[in-house]
Amino acid sequence: MVASGTFGFGEEYEDFFDLNQLGAIIPKGISLKPMMGNPPPRIFETEGGIINSIGLQNPGFQNFIKNRLPYYKKIKTHLIINFFGNTQREYIELAKRFDEVPGISGLEMNISCPNVKRGGIVFGSDPKMAYQLVCEVRKATKLTLIVKLSPNITDIASIAKSVEEGGADAVSLINTFRAMAVNIHSRKPELGNIIGGLSGPAIKPIALRMVWEVSQRVEIPVIGMGGIMKAEDAIEFILVGASAIQIGTANLINPRTGIEVIHGIKKYLIQNRINRIQKLVGVFKSH
Amino acid sequence: MALQTDGIVVKNERIKPLYFLLTIYCPPIANEIKTGQFIMLKVSDNSSPLLRRPFSVYKCYPASHPEKKKRGCLLILYKKVGKGTHKMTEFKKGQKVNVIGPLGNGFSLPPLPSSTHIILIGGGVGIVSLYSLAEVLGSHNLFVFIGGKTKDDILCEEDFKKLNASKIFIATEDGSLGYEGTVINLFLSQIKIFKKRESQYIYSCGPVEMLKELAREVKFKGVDCQASLEARMGCGFGACWGCVVKTNDLNTPYQRICKEGPVFNLKDIVWE
Repeated sequence: MVASGTFGFGEEYEDFFDLNQLGAIIPKGISLKPMMGNPPPRIFETEGGIINSIGLQNPGFQNFIKNRLPYYKKIKTHLIINFFGNTQREYIELAKRFDEVPGISGLEMNISCPNVKRGGIVFGSDPKMAYQLVCEVRKATKLTLIVKLSPNITDIASIAKSVEEGGADAVSLINTFRAMAVNIHSRKPELGNIIGGLSGPAIKPIALRMVWEVSQRVEIPVIGMGGIMKAEDAIEFILVGASAIQIGTANLINPRTGIEVIHGIKKYLIQNRINRIQKLVGVFKSH
Repeated sequence: MALQTDGIVVKNERIKPLYFLLTIYCPPIANEIKTGQFIMLKVSDNSSPLLRRPFSVYKCYPASHPEKKKRGCLLILYKKVGKGTHKMTEFKKGQKVNVIGPLGNGFSLPPLPSSTHIILIGGGVGIVSLYSLAEVLGSHNLFVFIGGKTKDDILCEEDFKKLNASKIFIATEDGSLGYEGTVINLFLSQIKIFKKRESQYIYSCGPVEMLKELAREVKFKGVDCQASLEARMGCGFGACWGCVVKTNDLNTPYQRICKEGPVFNLKDIVWE
């Protein structure tokens, strides 16, 4: 799959390859109301990574349905909608509304957002808050519900457990790490928003560790992501327990990464005479 | 329609202490790219540096060009400023380089009366994309203002001379060549040339400070101006929304420099 926020709405990539070869497309995250996003600069390159502070700029639910959704009529592969809210009520409302939209294979709920009703504590940073949120959203939709976890937390496995108990069908991890950079000549932060999210090859070792920890803790499928640039990286995630993976930052550099990873995994299976990828999932799992 | 393809390095030569001319053989992009558009170049095979780098087209030669050797080639004039461009200075003849392009909207050429004074104002490496525009405009009452920090930052002067531009003006901040001061101050000092009955149209490309100054001036004089902007880019093809600029668009104030731009109407930019 391709990670939300790195693939636009899909159209931006259609010049480069046949999108239907992907397992699923996850477009930019949608909120109830349109969001303007953060002031620039929004991107800063680091060693083996990027920090982004895009700020969740998106057209909002109504505009998405009216102007963006029609494009997916010609897409045959799965469409998973990433969504988020500022309050629990917004998450529930969005889930309800997307429930009625035809052609959606599932929802990915971004819980790395601050709860403005609770002083800005990130939903995904507190097991109780995460559990409650997922419970409520679960009631609001029959669609497959994937919950995308934040790594900015001491014990991600406990959050994963909470959202599983709340009724999530799967978890996807990891989102970006809170990070920043400073320009010593201007003596100002490199990002307009000061803090952004770090992604790319630099985070892979931590992402892998977290996917492993979560796979040990939950029964539901785990979708792994974090610095996957090539098939070998994807296979590492599968071995530690991911049933599926997402490609994010790599898309920006090589738009064809998604299909190259798929081909690379196939090649690995053939070379190692493994007839089903499921045989590789969680080879490390202790149970 | 953008494509991703391998080009081959034909030449990579230093033309000034910090400036290099890179010639890439890449017919599919050379045939399609328009003035003011750009490419995203992959400068390394690994993660260092990670992102591609954006470059405006300087010169390009389609498949039909009379000089056989030049056919299918794309020329980039770049300044060695950081990690990415440093890597580029190491490109060797014959090596493959992955390119995405053509990208961006490019300059638009509205139908203008032939008496219109077309003014090009370029700062530093920004003059390069204005040169590609000048090639398409023809000599057409062309007034070119080239600015730079020092005389070593003044580019394309010979190129413009060959094109028979009506007049070429040079400004250096340290006074080592031409007028001492900013290129905008030079432009303002010459404004009397344009205070005739013919209308003016400005195309500009350069540092943010230069464009800001220009925006202040044209606002009051009511002259149309297209400005080509630059920004740190993530993907360069409109997917990540990292390269935005604030505009006066009510629906989507933050617009992508790689997609809705890099060329904008100067008056639509909201400077912060």
